[in-house]
Amino acid sequence: MSEGGSPPPGKADNAPPPTEHLNIKVTDNNNEVFFKIKRTTQLKKLMDAFCERQGKRPDTVRFLFDGQRVNPSDNPESLEMQDGDTLEVHAEQIGGC
Amino acid sequence: MSLCQNRLQEERKQWRRDHPFGFYARPMRNPQGVLDLKRWECGVPGKDKTLWEGGLFKLEVTFPDEYPTKPPKCKFVPPLFHPNVYPSGTVCLSILNEDEGWKPAITIKEILLGIQSLLDEPNPESPAQADAYNLFKKDRASYDRKIKHIVKENPAS
Repeated sequence: MSEGGSPPPGKADNAPPPTEHLNIKVTDNNNEVFFKIKRTTQLKKLMDAFCERQGKRPDTVRFLFDGQRVNPSDNPESLEMQDGDTLEVHAEQIGGC
Repeated sequence: MSLCQNRLQEERKQWRRDHPFGFYARPMRNPQGVLDLKRWECGVPGKDKTLWEGGLFKLEVTFPDEYPTKPPKCKFVPPLFHPNVYPSGTVCLSILNEDEGWKPAITIKEILLGIQSLLDEPNPESPAQADAYNLFKKDRASYDRKIKHIVKENPAS
């Protein structure tokens, strides 16, 4: 089920997605990179591209959508992302001392 | 659609378009998996360069039918050790009080930023819980240590 459509919430699983491509902003609070990806493309592609561009190792960062961790195998459709949504990039950290 | 629902849908749209880094605010789903626009789960990070830096504090925000005429209720889950948070977790803040600073134009973004500021700027003139208030007034060093401990227990990761 998705949110944001004009009719009140309802099951719309079978409805065709309004657009094939989404513009997604990826930001680490210093740099913003915009990506245009397909709804069914694994987010790994975008995560790797961001890391490459920013010179970061993928295992040193984590990506959050709506406060929740994104797995590389997720895609925009599985996360119910919409055009214009944002992924946040945070430094990975390990607890303990 | 009611004013309340309309406004909440717009708030959610604006939030998705742009929100402060490290925060989140999303409507919850009811047991049937349907989004409930009147109950949101939100996360507020501690401000950088304060005692609260590195922490992430979770809130449930509940909107009354009369929203936006009336303010939402913001409640830390679990309840937070802070002079202006009731033992139940409910935040005591002027902009969330219908008889004080609430205005229908106040957005969710402003509310959450206001709560973030409140973390490091408690108002001892209007305490809502005894524990945090007493420690804050009587033993600031212990209070600071306690906050650091709470931040460690609620890491942003």
